[in-house]
Amino acid sequence: MSSHQQVLDPDAPVVYEQYEDIEQQQETYIVGMWAFLVTEVMMFGALFLVYSLYRWNFKGEFFIFHEELSWQLGGLNTMNLLLSSFWMAKAVQAAQLKNIKKQMKFLTGTVICAIGFLVIKAMEWIPKFEHHLVPNNSFIWPPAHPHGSGGGSPEHARVFYSLYFIMTGLHGLHVIIGIIAISILMFMTKVKAKVITDYIPTEMVGLYWHFVDLVWIFLYPLFYLIPK
Amino acid sequence: MSQAAVDTHTSHSKTNYLTNGHSIASWLLTKDHKRIAILYMISVTLMFFIGGAAAGLIRLELTAPHGQLFTSEQYNKLFSAHGIVMVFFVIIPGVPAVLGNFVLPLMIGARDLAFPRLNLLSWYLYVAGAILVLTSFVLGGVDAGWTFYTPLSSMYSNSQISLCLIGIFLAGFSSIFTGLNFIATVHKMRAPGMTWFKMPHFVWAQYATSLVIVLGTPVVAITLVLVVLERQLKFGIFSPELGGDPVLFQHMFWFYSHPAVYIMILPAMGVISELVTCFSRRRLFGYEFVAFSTIAIAAIGFLIWGHHMFLTSQSTLQNVVFSLLTMVVAVPSAIKTFNWVLTMYKGSVAFTTPMIYVMGFIGLFLVGGLTGPFLGAIAIDVHLTGTYFVVAHFHYIMVGGAIMGFFGGLHFWWPKMFGKMYSEFWGKLTALIIFVGFNFTFFPQFILGYLGMPRRYHYYYFAPEWQLYNVMSTAGSTVLGIGYLLPVIYLTHSLIKGKPSGPNPWGAKGLEWEKADSPPDTHNFSEKIIVTEPAYNYDAIEDNDAFRKKWGAEPVTYEEDKV
Amino acid sequence: MEESHAEHGPHVISNKVLNQTFVLLIILMLLTIIAARAPIDGPKYLPGMVDFFKKWEYAWPVTNLIALGIAVIKAVNVIQYFMGVKYASNLSKVYAVGGFVGFTLLFILFWDYAGRAWEPVRGWEKVPSTALPRDFDNDGGVPYKQYPGNEKAHESKSEH
Repeated sequence: MSSHQQVLDPDAPVVYEQYEDIEQQQETYIVGMWAFLVTEVMMFGALFLVYSLYRWNFKGEFFIFHEELSWQLGGLNTMNLLLSSFWMAKAVQAAQLKNIKKQMKFLTGTVICAIGFLVIKAMEWIPKFEHHLVPNNSFIWPPAHPHGSGGGSPEHARVFYSLYFIMTGLHGLHVIIGIIAISILMFMTKVKAKVITDYIPTEMVGLYWHFVDLVWIFLYPLFYLIPK
Repeated sequence: MSQAAVDTHTSHSKTNYLTNGHSIASWLLTKDHKRIAILYMISVTLMFFIGGAAAGLIRLELTAPHGQLFTSEQYNKLFSAHGIVMVFFVIIPGVPAVLGNFVLPLMIGARDLAFPRLNLLSWYLYVAGAILVLTSFVLGGVDAGWTFYTPLSSMYSNSQISLCLIGIFLAGFSSIFTGLNFIATVHKMRAPGMTWFKMPHFVWAQYATSLVIVLGTPVVAITLVLVVLERQLKFGIFSPELGGDPVLFQHMFWFYSHPAVYIMILPAMGVISELVTCFSRRRLFGYEFVAFSTIAIAAIGFLIWGHHMFLTSQSTLQNVVFSLLTMVVAVPSAIKTFNWVLTMYKGSVAFTTPMIYVMGFIGLFLVGGLTGPFLGAIAIDVHLTGTYFVVAHFHYIMVGGAIMGFFGGLHFWWPKMFGKMYSEFWGKLTALIIFVGFNFTFFPQFILGYLGMPRRYHYYYFAPEWQLYNVMSTAGSTVLGIGYLLPVIYLTHSLIKGKPSGPNPWGAKGLEWEKADSPPDTHNFSEKIIVTEPAYNYDAIEDNDAFRKKWGAEPVTYEEDKV
Repeated sequence: MEESHAEHGPHVISNKVLNQTFVLLIILMLLTIIAARAPIDGPKYLPGMVDFFKKWEYAWPVTNLIALGIAVIKAVNVIQYFMGVKYASNLSKVYAVGGFVGFTLLFILFWDYAGRAWEPVRGWEKVPSTALPRDFDNDGGVPYKQYPGNEKAHESKSEH
C-alpha cells in the first residue's frame, strides 16, 4: 500500500510513501528545487535592482569606483566557477549512469574549484580592509593609492562598496553553502547512506550549483567590467 | 448521506493521526502534515493572543485624548509589536500553515505533502523566528512600526531592530518553504482523475498564494537583511547620510508587503468558497471565473505596491500608473464576491457556525474592499493616508476578512481534525459577538480617519471631540476580545466532552470529507483514490433532506444549474 | 499517475553537448572581457578608439547592452544545457522562465526615478490651486515661492 520498495533489487531507488512511483517522486523533487531557485532569483534580483538603480544614477562615478577592483582576479574566478559548473554537470551525468567513481571524481573537482574561488575572493577582500575601502566606520575615499583616478563623492563610493561587499558576500555565502552541500553529498554517497538511492540528490545540488554560477556570470561584468 | 465506505479494514483502523504515537518526540519530529498543522495551530493561537494583547493596550491608551498610560516611545513599540506579530506570525501563516497543511493533501487525495520534512522545518523556522521576535520585545521592543521605514530603522532608532528583523527573516523562510511545498504538491500529487478544474477551489487559492509567497518573500527578506547590515555595519544603501535613498527601502519593502496582503486574503477566500458551497448545497457559481480571478489577483497584486507610497516623493507618473492598476485589482475580487453570493442564491442555506462566518466575511470584505479604491484614488489618498481610515480599511479586510475566514474554516474542519463537534449554540453566539464587536471597533475608525485623526499617535488632545469615536472603538474591541477568547473555551471543551462527529457531519462533498475518517488516519486514505466527479457536486445529491433536517435549511429552489 | 514506459529514465546529457557548452562559455567570457577592456586598454593598441567612444552618444547604453547581452547568452546556455532545462519537462521550463519574469517585475521601480525628472509639470501652473505655487526658475533651489516672512536661505547646491 505505501512504499513500493522493490525487495528483489536492493539498488533500486526508494520511493517515499507519499509518492506513487519513482518518476513522480523524481519530478516532484525537480519541481521543488526549481521553485526554490525562483526564490533565490528574486532574492539576488532585488540586489541587482538596487545595484542597477544606483549605477544608473551615478554612471560616471561607478566606473571610477570599480577601478579599484581587479578584473583579472575576477576573470580567474569566473573561470573557476565555469569549470566547477562543467564538472558538476559531468558529475550529474555520472550519477545518472550510476558511475559512482566518476561522480566522486567530478564532485571533488567541483569542490576544488569552489575552494579556489573562495581563496581568490579572500585575496580580493582582505586588502580592502587595509585600504579602508570597506564601508564601515573606517571607510575613506579616495584611497591612499588609487588604481584609477580616485574621483567621485565619498557617499556614492560608500554605496558602491556596500553593494560590492553585500552582493559578492551573499554570493560567497552561497558558494560556502554549496561546498558544504557537495561535501555532504560526497560523504553520503561514499557511505551509501539511505537517503541517496538515485541521482536526484546529485541533480538537486547540481541545479543549486549552476545557479550560483549563474549569479556570478552576472556579477562579474556588473562589478568588474563597467564600461567607461 | 454521502458517507463513503471508509471503514474498509486497514491494519491500523483503530488509530488515527492523533493517537498514532504519544511521545513528545512523535509530535516534535513528526512528518505527518496533520500533526504539523496542529503544531502550527497552537503557535499561531499563542501569537494571536500576544498580538491581541498589544492591540488591547493600544485601544486602552486611546480612550482619552491625552497620552495617559504610555509614553510616545512605548506606544510606538506597542503598535509595532501588534503589527509585526499579527502580520508575520498570525495572518500570513494562519490559513496556509494551519488549515492548508491539514486539509490540502486530503483534498487532492494525496497521502502527505511533497516534502514532509521541509514542512517540519518550516514549523521550526516559525518557532525560531517567533522566539527571536518575542525576545526582542522583551529586551525593549522596536519602535519603527511593522514597516521599518529607513532611516529611522537603519540609523536612528535605539531599539531592538536587528534582533527583530532576524526573527522576521526566519519567519519569511518558514513561509517560503511552506509555499514551495504546496506548489510541488499541487502540481504533482493530485489523485488520478483530479484535473486542475476538478480541484476544490481552496487548492487553487493555496496555489496562487504559494506563487505569491515564492516570488515576493525573498525580496523583503533581503531588504530586511540590508537594513540590519546598514544598522550594524554602516553600509550605505538606504540612508541619505551614507549616500543611499530611503524611498528605495519603501519600494522594496512594499514590493513584498503588498502581495503579502494577498497572501493573507487569498487562502481565506479559498476557505469561503468551500464553506459557501457546502452550506448552500450548490456548486460554486462560475468555477472557472473564480479560479482565474484568484490567479489574476495574485498576478496584478505584484504591480500595485506604489499605492502605499503616494505621498513619498514618488514621481507623479508612477503615482498615476499605480493608482490605475489599483483600481484594476478590485475587479477580480468583485468577481469572486459576486460568485459567492450567486452560489447562495436560491440554495439551501443552513445557518451553521461556519456559514455565519461566511456571511460576515462577505459583508465585511465588501466594506473593506470598497474602501480600498477610495484610498487608491490619489486625490482622496492625499487626505486619508496616515489616518485611521487606512487603519479601518485594512482591519476590515485582514480581521473582518482573513481572520473570519480562518475561524470559519477552523469551525468547518474542526470535526475532521478532531472527530468532535463543538456546541453549535456557543459557536453561533461567538460568531455574532465577533461580528458585532468588530463593527463597533472599526467602523468608528472610518469616521475618525475622515475627520483627520492620524494613525500611530497616542494622543489627540488637539481634537478632543474625537474621544467619542475612540471610546466606541475601545468598547467594541473589548467585545471583540471576548469573542476571540470564547472559542478557546468551547473548542477545548469539545475536545474533552464533545459529541463524536462521524466522518462527515456536514454532509459535505470533497475527498477530505467523503474518503477520510474523522480524525484521519496517519496515511490519510485507506483505499486508492480515483476522482470522477467535478468539485462541489452537490447537485448530484438526490436527497438533501437529512442535511436540511439536521441543520435547518430550506429546500433548494433553483430550477436549473445554468451557470 | 505516470504511465510506465519501457525505458523512461532521466535524459542523460551527452559529453559532446557538455563539452561544447563549456567551450562556448569560455569564449563568451573572453569576449566580454575584451569588449569591456578594449575602450580602456585599447589606446595602447588602437589609438583613436577612445575618442570614438567618448564622442558616440550611444556608447554607454550600447556597451552595457553588449555586456549584459553576452551575460544573458551565457546564462541561457548554462540553464539549457548544464541544468538540463532543454530536455526537462514543461513544468521545469515554466519555472525556469517564470523566475526571471518575476525578476523583471521589480524593474517597474525605474518609472519612479525616471519620472522624477519630469517634475514639476510645466503648463499646469496656470491652473489655480490651493497648493503652494512652484518656483520653476530656481532648479535645484527651494521649490516654493519665498513669501515675505517665509524666507529661507537659498540652497542652490543641487543634490543628485
